[in-house]
Amino acid sequence: MKNEFVLSRTNLPYWLRQLRKKADLIGPSRSLNGDIIFSSIVNIHEMILDCPASIPSPKEFLFPQKEEMYKFSQKGVRNLNDKTKRIIFGVRSCDISAIALLDRFYGGLLEDDFYMSRRRNTCFISITCNNPDPTCFCSGLGTGPVLKTGFDLQLTDLGDRYLVQAGSREGLRMINGFRHLFLLPEKADYDDQYEVLLSSQSIFEKRITLENVRQKILDGKVTDSFWESVACRCFECGGCVYECPLCTCFNVIDWKEKDNKGTRLRLWDTCMFKGFTKMAGNVLPAGKKIMRTRRWYFHKLIHYPEQFGRFGCVGCGRCTITCPGRIDMATIANKLD
Amino acid sequence: MKNKNKKGLYLPVDAKINDVVDLTPDVKLYKLRKPRSFVYSPGQFVMASLWGAGEVPISITSTSEIHQDIELCIRKAGFVTSALHRLKPGDSIGIRGPLGNRFPFEDAYGQDVLFIAGGIGIAPLRSLINLVIEKRKNFGKIALIYGSKTPTEVLFMPETQNWKENGIDLTLTIDVECKEWACSFGLVTEHINRQSISFESGYAFICGPHVMINAAMHDLSLLGMPAEHIITTIEAHMKCGVGKCGHCYSDGRYVCTDGPVFSYAEIREFGIASP
Amino acid sequence: MKKISTVCPYCGCGCGLYVHVEKDIITGVSPVRNHPVNKGSLCVKGWNCFEFVQHPGRLKYPLIKKNGVFKKASWDEALDWTAENLLKTREKFGPDSIGMLSSAKCTNEENFLMMKFSRAVVGTNNIDHCARLCHSSTVGGLAKAFGSGAMTNSIDEIDSSRVLFVIGSNTTEQHPMIGMHMLDAVDRGATLIVADPRKTQIAELAKIHLRHRCGTDVALLNGMMNVIINEGLVDLDFVKRRTENFDDFERIVMRYPPDIAEKITCVPAVDIRRVARIYATEKRSMLFYSMGITQHITGVDNVRSCANLVMLTAHIGLPMTGLNPLRGQNNVQGACDMGALPNVYSGYQKVTDKKARKKFESAWGAKLPSVPGRTLTEMFDAAGGEIRAMYIMGENPVISDPDASHVTEAIKKLDFLVVQDIFMSDTAELASVVLPAVTFAEKDGTFTNTERRVQKLKKAIRPVCGAMPDWRIISELSKRMGYEMEYGATHEIMEEAALLTPSYGGILHHRLDNFGLQWPCPGIDHSGTTFMHRKAFTKGMGSFIPIDFIPPAEPVDGDYPFILTTGRISFHYHTGTMCRRTSTLEREEPDCFVEINPADAERLGIKTHDRLSVSSRRGEIVVNASVTDRTPEGIVFIPFHFREAAVNLITNPALDPTAKIPEYKVCAVNIAPVVTKGTSFPRRERR
Repeated sequence: MKNEFVLSRTNLPYWLRQLRKKADLIGPSRSLNGDIIFSSIVNIHEMILDCPASIPSPKEFLFPQKEEMYKFSQKGVRNLNDKTKRIIFGVRSCDISAIALLDRFYGGLLEDDFYMSRRRNTCFISITCNNPDPTCFCSGLGTGPVLKTGFDLQLTDLGDRYLVQAGSREGLRMINGFRHLFLLPEKADYDDQYEVLLSSQSIFEKRITLENVRQKILDGKVTDSFWESVACRCFECGGCVYECPLCTCFNVIDWKEKDNKGTRLRLWDTCMFKGFTKMAGNVLPAGKKIMRTRRWYFHKLIHYPEQFGRFGCVGCGRCTITCPGRIDMATIANKLD
Repeated sequence: MKNKNKKGLYLPVDAKINDVVDLTPDVKLYKLRKPRSFVYSPGQFVMASLWGAGEVPISITSTSEIHQDIELCIRKAGFVTSALHRLKPGDSIGIRGPLGNRFPFEDAYGQDVLFIAGGIGIAPLRSLINLVIEKRKNFGKIALIYGSKTPTEVLFMPETQNWKENGIDLTLTIDVECKEWACSFGLVTEHINRQSISFESGYAFICGPHVMINAAMHDLSLLGMPAEHIITTIEAHMKCGVGKCGHCYSDGRYVCTDGPVFSYAEIREFGIASP
Repeated sequence: MKKISTVCPYCGCGCGLYVHVEKDIITGVSPVRNHPVNKGSLCVKGWNCFEFVQHPGRLKYPLIKKNGVFKKASWDEALDWTAENLLKTREKFGPDSIGMLSSAKCTNEENFLMMKFSRAVVGTNNIDHCARLCHSSTVGGLAKAFGSGAMTNSIDEIDSSRVLFVIGSNTTEQHPMIGMHMLDAVDRGATLIVADPRKTQIAELAKIHLRHRCGTDVALLNGMMNVIINEGLVDLDFVKRRTENFDDFERIVMRYPPDIAEKITCVPAVDIRRVARIYATEKRSMLFYSMGITQHITGVDNVRSCANLVMLTAHIGLPMTGLNPLRGQNNVQGACDMGALPNVYSGYQKVTDKKARKKFESAWGAKLPSVPGRTLTEMFDAAGGEIRAMYIMGENPVISDPDASHVTEAIKKLDFLVVQDIFMSDTAELASVVLPAVTFAEKDGTFTNTERRVQKLKKAIRPVCGAMPDWRIISELSKRMGYEMEYGATHEIMEEAALLTPSYGGILHHRLDNFGLQWPCPGIDHSGTTFMHRKAFTKGMGSFIPIDFIPPAEPVDGDYPFILTTGRISFHYHTGTMCRRTSTLEREEPDCFVEINPADAERLGIKTHDRLSVSSRRGEIVVNASVTDRTPEGIVFIPFHFREAAVNLITNPALDPTAKIPEYKVCAVNIAPVVTKGTSFPRRERR
């Protein structure tokens, strides 16, 4: 119980302003054209807490689309590990669930030092999602709208105050310096939080449990002709992978300048391209589109559960927003369910 | 497998080139000074890295019990390998590794062993062949079928004779008949059933082009060899070699961390990288 | 971490995207979710459009060629040297000895300045750009029919249309985000009809796919219109009230009953009838076309036939109802609007029109030439003769123009060539002076997309060291040639353009924040035009123009038995200056290929990946075979992005008589396997 607090609405900006002094504070704000974008916050009052899903997912702060890895020159090699302190405010529960899985993927015995260096310097302040999009389906997967564990700090908007739950040492540290701003919660606070959860759950338009789909695939009930009908609508844009908070693939390239100077960098890559698996001599193990679209679904629906015990999907709905061919996870799951 | 390089998962270690041997016009053998704490087994590979060009996975062709250096057999096939081919003794190649699993050769103790190599597929097998010869008494009959396209493309020619002297039943074959060749002709698969090993209990280690691997595995299993005894090593597009970049991922397995050595049983189950 | 909202630099869709910047380094891009065109999606090029911006191969300082070798120069040296040479040429051979190529990749402001530079500073109307090679037939053809050559509708309207007739456009690959809207419309029950010799992705998704022979579009459209007239499906009221010259047109169309059309096009008459009925009877019918219509010697005819069809059925002048040419380049619409054309000022005001000329003369304080200048293709023909010097901004004609070896020869004959680009392009290699310009992420300005939407792009990072925005280079050069151009920022240029261009009258930077405005936007309180020709055509009455079928310039024969058609693929863009420096795109299709039908391939003994020699009367290239039934028998397809196998070495430079657009889409070629030593076994190397 002692890791739960109440913060009054008026104190939030002050608290964040203090936190910003030690780290880059990133949060959602509305751009001129009405979009929600996560970027460094200049004016704290411009932040929005009941925002629709951001594009792309917050994995961009841990695993950017383009990340410089090493600078090399005649003199030697410099590691460009990013150690910037970041606090990311207003992240949704689904994304926090995704980051927990990313931590397991990039961490472990073979630890990806570029990811982990950013991860160790980043704290997430997540929110109980009170405004799910029509594309969202986290409630069916248990990855939202509210989390029990796995977060640093979780805020629930109770109107005039926030219920703040600390789920990690880093989270607690953000509160500890400012204990005078926080009160201890009472029963009414928990009741209000429950109400927020109920009302949020009533907003969801999609009820998708991927378990049925998984069973159908495992039982061999999904035919090649179904995947063919999916593949023929694929634009090969890679958007589903770029947007997915759980897609981890990357490509490594070298940029060479004069005098053997240069940069080794990594870029987001996607399995939707036939060149992704291309081998020497132009051998294409996944030359047909159907192999690639099917593989993406199999990875998320079959192999993720085998490897991590969770689906490779947190129901954030971003592929539904971005897929130009409308063959995203939710649509496919609806068709197969 | 655990990352031993404290400076990071993706940072290659410089290894000085002690010697370069031209094996054929487009294949070179690089002998690299072994960095300290580099312990490897047959079947493993390294990511060979050249700043400004990139990284490619290359299987280790030497045997740690026998060779002082790490030996890499590199065929000029793309941008990075062409850049590697320009290096001379005294230059350095960055290496990351050893990566991947190894040939489960202990399983074959007391049994016959058949090696099947096609083209540059001899390179990863060589590290095992030399080890098997070193531990000759642990195995039954040993045979090698090694196929190339033309006589000029045969790698390690002198060494194969050496193997023969050490009791390996050697079949050197080239695809199409031609005059200046004194050994056999035809595809490797045509020679499999002529081997005098026990197929029911023996083990086979296969490496070569995909088409050849698939055909050989299929033929061996028809000859009665159990699928768990048919072992191959697979090539795939790789960028990291440590199970992160996703390029070699196929049906729940990463060729780089779960492989590159797989048995026919695993390949049939997962359909790994079979174009 | 900043996210700057800007516009994609690739195709004419004009998708909105954010450029992510951290410490002046671009770390990625993401789509704008509320944007009316892309709605949170991007195509593969859009997703990867940041990679070339900070590529180490960018030009970082000016280069002057001395004794055949490029030497690094300071900006002052390079600009002085350029100005001196241009002035010398003008003095010796007159202003019309200088030719300008503006760029559909540059902003409206830069195109306007280039036009001003050409006309007011140099004193010549010899200014053109690559629209000559893609949509000059649209600009010319629709001007005559409607009075204005642009998409009549908006992309966002596509979703709610009932019939989509797509002819000569590989929409899902070339305009993926428009393809997305089309797919949405189909999902909502719209009928998609595609006319294309190739079985493209959009064709596979279509309800009806007409595979007419290359270059027979007029016959196909006339056949359809014949059915419409004979079956009484003409909207007579509309024809009477809004159009003229119907009778002449009807006489010609009567010569093309569907069975005659079938003979020419190889499309079954029954399909022609079916499509004609669907298109004519349904309301909310939109017609889309692209290069498959325009890049022919009959390009203008094709465009006018399309115009005839929409007027005949009154499918114009309403939302979700119209004629929509899909423009290729991100700002090809804007470059045309800004008058980077030899015969018009901005807003298509004719240089021969005394009143218009007077207006520009008094605004610019200079005497302007009154005779239309040379087109792009004509400039290269006259190079070394009447054209002595050229100034090429952001274009790569050595790869993009037909019969490319001719262009290279022509350029070599020039006394002086200035090339302004972001990379060392093949054209820049031949230049006397190379000026390093900046990319979309490093400058301010506006782009006009295919639906006439003028959108603001915003500077995301500082220019890479040493490079300068094109508009600054032009004004610096102008100053050195004795004409002061004092612009502090791009919005000042836009203000001047708005003042002089009626259709851009209300288009000012501060009004463009919310996804821009669609021209015509005549005044500061006008909110833009989402669909055109409402109530009346721009020129008043729409004109029917009788069009007879003319076969392509180069028929197939015994020596050259295949028709070659060219085009783009989704992973590459034009001459590859940007996309081939993008690792993902380059990895996907690193080599040029020729698509050939399995039946033809079997006859010639060709397999996928075989090396083939493709030759025409003009040259030969060697490419890999790709055996696929996407391409019909007798036709082969080659993308034109690859410098190693530049298909434009063999294309036919025959021109449309009025628009001067070359016939890229049809020429006769021969195909033969190349015998090479090599292995058929895949090579072994772990990669």
